[in-house]
Amino acid sequence: MGLFESAEKFEEVLAGFFRQLGQNKQIADKLLKSKMIIRFKYTDPDLVIVVDCSGDEIDVRPHDTETKATVEMSMTSDVAHKFWFGKVNLTKALTRKEMIAKGPIPKILKLLPAIKPAYEMYPKYLEENGYSEYNIH
Amino acid sequence: MLPEFFAFYSPTKVVYEPGIISDLKPELDIIGIKKYFVVSDHILNDIGLVQKLADGLAEAGCEMVGTFLDVKQDARLSDVNTCTKAVKASGAEGIISIGGGSVIDTAKAVNIIFSEGGDLVEDYSGGHLLTRPLKPHIVIPTTAGTGSEVTMVAVIYDEENKEKLVFADKFLQPNLAVLDPEVTLSLPPKLTASTGMDALTHSIEAYVGIEASPFSDAFAAGAIELIMKYLVAATEDGEDAEARGAMLIAAAMAGIAFTHSMVGCVHGMAHVTGALFRVPHGEANAVYLPYGMEYNFEEITEKLARLAPLMDEDVTGLAEEEAARKAIEAVRKLTGKLHDLGTLPVKLSEIGVPEDGLKDIAEAVPSDGTSFYNPREVDEEELLPYIQRAF
Repeated sequence: MGLFESAEKFEEVLAGFFRQLGQNKQIADKLLKSKMIIRFKYTDPDLVIVVDCSGDEIDVRPHDTETKATVEMSMTSDVAHKFWFGKVNLTKALTRKEMIAKGPIPKILKLLPAIKPAYEMYPKYLEENGYSEYNIH
Repeated sequence: MLPEFFAFYSPTKVVYEPGIISDLKPELDIIGIKKYFVVSDHILNDIGLVQKLADGLAEAGCEMVGTFLDVKQDARLSDVNTCTKAVKASGAEGIISIGGGSVIDTAKAVNIIFSEGGDLVEDYSGGHLLTRPLKPHIVIPTTAGTGSEVTMVAVIYDEENKEKLVFADKFLQPNLAVLDPEVTLSLPPKLTASTGMDALTHSIEAYVGIEASPFSDAFAAGAIELIMKYLVAATEDGEDAEARGAMLIAAAMAGIAFTHSMVGCVHGMAHVTGALFRVPHGEANAVYLPYGMEYNFEEITEKLARLAPLMDEDVTGLAEEEAARKAIEAVRKLTGKLHDLGTLPVKLSEIGVPEDGLKDIAEAVPSDGTSFYNPREVDEEELLPYIQRAF
């Protein structure tokens, strides 16, 4: 059993955070420049979220299994949660298949410096939006 | 200081001997299949290497059931697709690639579809998507640089979408790497120098990178020592079998090192410069290497100090920082010698990079994937003066 009790709760927390990232100009500009469509496939609890950076603004679409994504990232919800705290060693996660990246790896790696500020934002977001029980910072 | 985590997996058997491509029977017997498809290029075919390999296979009771010789510079997706069809039609049970990095990477990608079927880009582009070993792949490198004979990576250029696709998987590590210095004797001095500098950059960046471990350090340090000792000799006299052998061994060791601990901003600058101004990868690495070491200096002082004696620098009585500077000096001495031989540039201005392009390079490097593994955060403003000095 993962940290999140239900897919609904995980969606509320993570999709909400992605939308906040989309409003952050510093991060959003770089993501939009990539034109990428990223599908996150989470397990335990199961959830699919598409983050679409191909338009003029970032569109976060839970449950979108249809859109052709540039990249698919698969992981458990707990690994995803830890990732946004900056607490996942990416090499370790990829080597041990805790995180599976399907698609152009160079493009994925290019996004990492862009999302670095998100690691500081995530614990604050959890505190400010009533999700402090999930704050492992 | 020990890393928090590391994994080490290097299943490729490495055999070394001058002339061994004519004496592969013991290795082929162990692998146990008889029908091989050979991936190479026309230059190597024209100098008789493919035929020599075919003769060696026949003597070992094996058969070369087909060849693909159209591999171009930068392994291309269209070649992978054409080659895959030929391999499937040939009745081959395994693949032998004989050539440089493009040939080897093409064969690695071909083997994915040959073994597993499906669509290369749709199903396998990415990291660690394979679930079982592929068909046997034997690699005979004819350059001493990429280390692809032992790495888990294949980089393929998709001409249609103009992007480089990366396939990273432990199952891409070949079964056997055959290091035969005789097959590198014909490598021209310029290519010897630039591919050798590529191997040196792999090993130094692997040694100082954030994913380095005691295991990768051992291979990186071994490679650095060999390259510093033998690269000039191999460049000066292509017939120097000992130097050729040492460089082949070093490139493979560097490959083992960087497939585990990655590379950093020197490769980042080389990737961007190559993409913007068509500068060959090894030459760009050679120019940038000392400047990249300087950019990272504060974060890697202790490790550079440890490298200096392996680079034949006397550090007796020197403080750590002074010893570390000696390592950078050693790289400059090496590239200076290769420059004097007329085989290597030491400045960007020598290889067609315009001065007004330097800012563009600095702007793009932080977004290169290698920046993620660099010991110091790669910042456009902070990096630019180093690129300007490299000009």
